[in-house]
Amino acid sequence: MSNYYNMPKLPTENSPKVEIFVDDKAVMVPGDTNLLEALKAVGIETPHVCYHPFLPVSGNCRQCLVEQEGPRGRMLVIACYTPVAPGMKIYTPASSARVKNARKATQEFMLVNHPLDCPICDKAGECTLQENYMEAGQNESRMRPEYGKNYHGNPAHQFVDAKGQVRGGKHVDLGPRVLLDEERCVQCDRCVRFMRTIAGSEQLQLAGRADHTYITTFPGEKLDHEYDLCVTDVCPVGAMTAKYFRFQKRVWLLSHTPTVSMDDSLGANIWLDHADGRIYRVMPRCNPEVNRSWLSNTSRLAFQNFDKNRLPAMDVHTPAFGSGKVALVAGGTCTMEDLAAIRMLKDSLGDRAEIFGGSLLKVGTPDGIAMSGDPVANRAGMKLMGFADVADFMKRASEFETLVTVNADLFGEDPAASSVLEKINCRVALTPFDDATAKKATIAIGVRHWSEVQGTMVNSLNILQKLNACPVCPDEKLEPAFQVLSKFAGCKLQSAVEAFKKVGEYASALAGLTYDTIKSTGKLLEGGEA
Amino acid sequence: MAECVKVCTANFGKGAQDIEVYKKLGGYANISDRLFNMSQFEVIDYVQRSNLRGRGGAGFPTGMKWSFVPRNSGKPVYIVVNADEGEGGTFKDHFLMLEDPHRLIEGLIIAAWALGSRAAYIYCRGEFLPCIESLNKALNQAYAAGYLGENIMGTKFCFDIFVHRGAGAYICGEETALINSLEGQKGQPRLKPPFPAVSGAWKSPTCVNNVETIMALPWIFSHEPEEYAKMGTPRAGGTKVFCISGDVKNPGVYEAPLGTPMMTMINDYAGGVVGGNLKAVLPGGSSCAPLTAEECAVATMDYECLASMKTMFGSGAMIVINDTHNMAELLNVLGNFYSHESCGQCTPCREGTGLLHRILNQIVDGKGHDGDVELMQSLSGGFGGVTICPLSISLGGPTSSYTAKFRADFDELIAKNPEHAKPRVQENYRPGIFW
Repeated sequence: MSNYYNMPKLPTENSPKVEIFVDDKAVMVPGDTNLLEALKAVGIETPHVCYHPFLPVSGNCRQCLVEQEGPRGRMLVIACYTPVAPGMKIYTPASSARVKNARKATQEFMLVNHPLDCPICDKAGECTLQENYMEAGQNESRMRPEYGKNYHGNPAHQFVDAKGQVRGGKHVDLGPRVLLDEERCVQCDRCVRFMRTIAGSEQLQLAGRADHTYITTFPGEKLDHEYDLCVTDVCPVGAMTAKYFRFQKRVWLLSHTPTVSMDDSLGANIWLDHADGRIYRVMPRCNPEVNRSWLSNTSRLAFQNFDKNRLPAMDVHTPAFGSGKVALVAGGTCTMEDLAAIRMLKDSLGDRAEIFGGSLLKVGTPDGIAMSGDPVANRAGMKLMGFADVADFMKRASEFETLVTVNADLFGEDPAASSVLEKINCRVALTPFDDATAKKATIAIGVRHWSEVQGTMVNSLNILQKLNACPVCPDEKLEPAFQVLSKFAGCKLQSAVEAFKKVGEYASALAGLTYDTIKSTGKLLEGGEA
Repeated sequence: MAECVKVCTANFGKGAQDIEVYKKLGGYANISDRLFNMSQFEVIDYVQRSNLRGRGGAGFPTGMKWSFVPRNSGKPVYIVVNADEGEGGTFKDHFLMLEDPHRLIEGLIIAAWALGSRAAYIYCRGEFLPCIESLNKALNQAYAAGYLGENIMGTKFCFDIFVHRGAGAYICGEETALINSLEGQKGQPRLKPPFPAVSGAWKSPTCVNNVETIMALPWIFSHEPEEYAKMGTPRAGGTKVFCISGDVKNPGVYEAPLGTPMMTMINDYAGGVVGGNLKAVLPGGSSCAPLTAEECAVATMDYECLASMKTMFGSGAMIVINDTHNMAELLNVLGNFYSHESCGQCTPCREGTGLLHRILNQIVDGKGHDGDVELMQSLSGGFGGVTICPLSISLGGPTSSYTAKFRADFDELIAKNPEHAKPRVQENYRPGIFW
């Protein structure tokens, strides 16, 4: 039904303002959006289950009801599908008992066939139903056990529990990464719409009808897609759960660090959810300009290797860079601060040093969701800082006597290159991991991983984005690459703030910026396209 | 019983399934230069003057519906005939298509001329196999006779009709669900706007009409529109095909003018109530509120009178109930039907119809409790006007009215439970264990 499901229009900073009347009070709201977003813009939250700002509207949960004054009197309408019109009169529960009761009734219906297993549900704590219940429901149950429930689920998965109640399927294996708890499903349709419209691969479908509707894949098929874990994000309840995070941690015990994924040059905005000194999961962080609410499995599951195979911290003196030419090669995950420190090192070495950036991996194509396909996350930043491409270095590798690689696993990326690279006598590797380059290096120095440093990067859309340090570093003695490099240059940068000042000196586009002036969704640099 | 002009059922029992017989009875006389010399607006004006209202249930004026269809959208205009007759107690379209398929085809040609349409779809309920056979046979004959296809009657007008077999879902009688089903998608109502008149089948302007509405057109065009309007009430013209079923002597399909008193229908047409005294009548199919015997005595069968009695005219399907029946049991049957037929989109309908059905089941099984009726009334109040389509109200409305008008029936069944006064206890509630 994708042609008939319309994407909601979201308000932007440039939206025209129109006057509407909410509870008989005049307010100015964005005029080119739906009522739900408009009310949100003026601070009125409307409970909703099926509505998602980046998915087509399906309007089936009926939770976001408001009253609208119309030619036939006040009518209940759903806020998510009602466009804002100048002068419209809207009544919310603040003034209308009818809206309050209607929302309460919907809430009650929503819970009729929903199991109350919050204590063992992974979604508890971030569940839309729980939030809505606290806001709109809070009703004493009027049901009797005799009325029974009709738990949602595939008849093939149903079972009878100890009390004789027919239950819906539990932990149904949908595919390699996602499990489905059928009876928790509230038929909001979000995962179906996500797979249909965003992923573009209609692998999920609602089967059956009425209260025996259930989510399923096609017979014999599995849910298997690069973005399939996003269905666990959009699921408002605990029906879709990710296998890797299932029963790992209660979500209210997790702390969240907003940062940027350095796996890809789009720089998907993420939350690193951590506790007990380790990352438990990676969640997409909403950024309408960059990755919206989506995150690829590659970026999401990369954290599992962040703390594995790490190089230890070591107190190193400045290596002897000899008298020949020095190649300074920055890898894709170098932040702007690292790049500035490499520039400092180049300045200290004089004309015999040259700077290169990039990787030997192939560049793919953007998938239009949350991946640009380019493994060099900070490629745009390298361009701003005047780094030549690493391909140039590979052509002229024999000219150099010293090679310094920063987060660049040249040996690992292209095993064929090792014969050329091994001819360089002095090979210094700054890298978080004990990878192929570190093993082949004459000096291998452990540094912090990008998830553990504060910094900035410029993504493929020319948006400057902030990384924040997640306190999960396996060894507190490890230093960020820029500190080690600036020490080599003879002027140790003490903090990222100081390093960012250096960035401004080298790249005029970033001059005068500070961390505080970069919003959490990034800052579009001049010359870039939004 | 006054002799009534037969508009739709004139050819019943005369073998009009055959095109030769139909033509002898005056059929296809409208498909002539007279029609093709009229402009689209003249045809629509003609229909508007006849005061014809949609016979599917909602009773929307047909001419007005046609006038909403945009003329210059650059997309084809489709006509869809809603023959997915699923409402409980309704069986008129079945007989109309079975007995007189050519009249439907003739009506469709007129409608196609009025709307500038190139193709029409007859979405027929899947179970109506004889109807589909009859329609297909009639279509073949009409194509052979040159009434359908390319250059009809030597004009430049081309028109095709396709019969589509539904898969037996009640909700596919809702026009947007019907269109979804026609397109091959899941039969679920769409969000409105856009309405089908603007963006319907394959995102093109689409006019969805009931079988009976289309079948009234040939008569209207072979007479003066005012003549048709005169037969009905001031706000709705013409005759109506009623299906009378239930506890009557002669259940069946009867054509009568709008505004006929209800008791005339029951006593004169259907031969009176059998098996007991009249208890209630559902005047417009299973989803409308019942009328008590006293109300029936003053009711007339038209849109306005029944609306004023807080029920609806619907599809004209009268279900007559005598006093040997318990209304709670009837409501349980409705609950079973609607909870099974809900499409599963909107929360109140999806969960609420099932819950109402389970409560009703408890009552009918003699396990009801005091307060169940109040709970049902309160729950059905949560249905009103909050869903995409009116299916939830089709159960919510009857629940409110059955319990209000026939409360004694429910109490009688609840009293059968020896523990009916037992208060509600929260499951797993063990006071004192946690604090």
